[in-house]
Amino acid sequence: MNTVTMRKNSIDFRGQNRFEPEWLYNIRKESWNYYNDLELPHRSNHLWRYTNAQDLLPNNLEELIKIIPSLPDQSENDSSYGDEDFSGYGYNRSDFMTFARLSHDFEKSGVVFKDLLTASRENEDIVKKHLGQLVGYGFGKFEAMNLALWNTGLFLYVPDNIEIKKPIRLQRHPSGPNTIHRLLVVVGNNSKLTLIDDYSGECRKEEAQSNSAVEIFTGDASNVKYFNTQRLSNSCISYITQRAQISRDAKFVSVFAGIGSKISKFNTGTILNGEGAESKLYGIVFGNENQHFDYHTMHHHTASNSYSDIDFKVVLKDEAKSAATGLIRVEEDALNCQAYQVNRNLLLNEGPKAESIPELEILCDQVQCSHGATVGPIDQDMLFYLMSRGVDYKEAMNIITLGYLEPTIEKFPVELGELTRELLATKMKG
Amino acid sequence: MSKNKILSINNVHVEIEGKEIVKGVSLQINSGEKHAIMGKNGSGKSSLANALAGHPNYEITSGTVELDGENLLDKSATERSLAGLFLGFQYPLTIPGVTVANFLRAAIKARNGDGIDIKNFRKVFKEKMKLLKIEDSFATRYLNDGFSGGEKKRLEILQMAMLRPKLAILDETDSGLDIDALKIVANGIMESAPKDGGVILVTHYQRMLDYIKPDMVHIMIDGRIVKTGGAELALELEAGGYDKLETEVSQEVGV
Repeated sequence: MNTVTMRKNSIDFRGQNRFEPEWLYNIRKESWNYYNDLELPHRSNHLWRYTNAQDLLPNNLEELIKIIPSLPDQSENDSSYGDEDFSGYGYNRSDFMTFARLSHDFEKSGVVFKDLLTASRENEDIVKKHLGQLVGYGFGKFEAMNLALWNTGLFLYVPDNIEIKKPIRLQRHPSGPNTIHRLLVVVGNNSKLTLIDDYSGECRKEEAQSNSAVEIFTGDASNVKYFNTQRLSNSCISYITQRAQISRDAKFVSVFAGIGSKISKFNTGTILNGEGAESKLYGIVFGNENQHFDYHTMHHHTASNSYSDIDFKVVLKDEAKSAATGLIRVEEDALNCQAYQVNRNLLLNEGPKAESIPELEILCDQVQCSHGATVGPIDQDMLFYLMSRGVDYKEAMNIITLGYLEPTIEKFPVELGELTRELLATKMKG
Repeated sequence: MSKNKILSINNVHVEIEGKEIVKGVSLQINSGEKHAIMGKNGSGKSSLANALAGHPNYEITSGTVELDGENLLDKSATERSLAGLFLGFQYPLTIPGVTVANFLRAAIKARNGDGIDIKNFRKVFKEKMKLLKIEDSFATRYLNDGFSGGEKKRLEILQMAMLRPKLAILDETDSGLDIDALKIVANGIMESAPKDGGVILVTHYQRMLDYIKPDMVHIMIDGRIVKTGGAELALELEAGGYDKLETEVSQEVGV
């Protein structure tokens, strides 16, 4: 039990972090204290009913503390480049190789894209103002661990009135034993951004943990699209907490795909914080073999006339398990909001288990809200329709299943969509 | 010219969930013939159609069916299609996420394997869409997703035209069509129905038979074919209604 022994230890983060600013050191220390004071979540705790928290704990916390990077000396920042497909390219790896490159189109635009450690010194004001505000240590045990021990991070800042037409692509390779990564995104007013956050790779060590925290702030009337694909190998354990805060008249679209990992716990949420804010969340999960997916979605309306919609589809085969908890919360003074959510689960055989738990906390009486959940097998009449055209049973199952997910996959940028289709087709066959 | 037997149905009984719906139907269709099966809702005509196509909920409990000399009943729905049977659905299913073009490509691929000639596929596809006055944009729309009743039925005929079956069973393809759509669909059937195969038009009304003249008309009541005749039988039926016929039939059999 590493956590117990660690708890008594006084950790000298300073020793390892000569180059971190004082305030960041303090945040780490506070978070670490908080982490140690918190009990490991129990099955009776909210959102922990389906996953054993013990399974998500790193097995070498001491090592993690030692390796908080002192300096991003393996990183390359700001070296601009030309790429036809992406406006920027970021890379995060468990051996703390981090780099961030931005297309030279944005050289003088004021856009900042660099590793988080460097940003904490060079862009101190913005980072200090936002870091940990959406996914802070108060969030929970694993979020506190992240804020205390993050060892690889990226920072993206888009000033007001900037349109980043092509996506910025982040590649996360938590391929070592443990990776604790953080992403902080701050988008200004009237700006546009498409961000791909792609988790992939083989985990070199058995049961490598990846703990990721993502914070996205959007300015007024901004337009942000965020794509999160988790396609880690099936020996990985993935924990992602992502929050976005949407300002006045801003539009946010978030699309996620949960494909990989042995255990995947994913918590995605959007706070509609300004009048007229809009958030659309589309998600898919495809589980096979013994994969375990524990997914939470949240739309929190704190401002009037805000709109949210969630469409979350799950496909399970073999012995895979999924739990989908979807919270809609509308505050008392958030008037005339619309909030919708649907979670559908398709079970391809008798083995998998799917749970669907909608949670509504509607404190305001002027609201339009709906939620729906279904769990079931493939429609027999659909199967017959395809078979009556000469398609065999297996191929008919393929076509219907991939078709079921297609309206969501279609929303991905072309290349990412293709990649996702290939991965799903492979899983269908396996 | 000697005619081949395309379809031989001999004393077929069909059950749904243990309840007998079709109670002994025999029918023979020769190459080049078009037959109409008429009857009220619940007479068993759609059940017969679905059972012939191999729908798992429709169990053929006794009788034999041969398609072009081959036993049909030991085949799956897939194999029946590959053997040359086509069912035009009364209520075509919506399959989200699967485009019309991909759906058809899968069906053609099931026949021709991976050696599908894409160029030729596109050419024939375009021709048939034009014949059925289906806009090109339909190719990339999800199958029957948001289609009107008429569009769905035209799409069924498009599928028939592409798959070139030996025997097409068109289950109430005329229902839900306005007069213009009916003409287009009827024309599509005439143009692309298998010339040396057979067609069964399952219908409630006579109106489609104005455009497609059947060689034979069979009237089904309560799971049985009670009367068979030429095209004029449909007109008789239209004039007198099913009730008159039912009375006649019950008198004939002395019920």
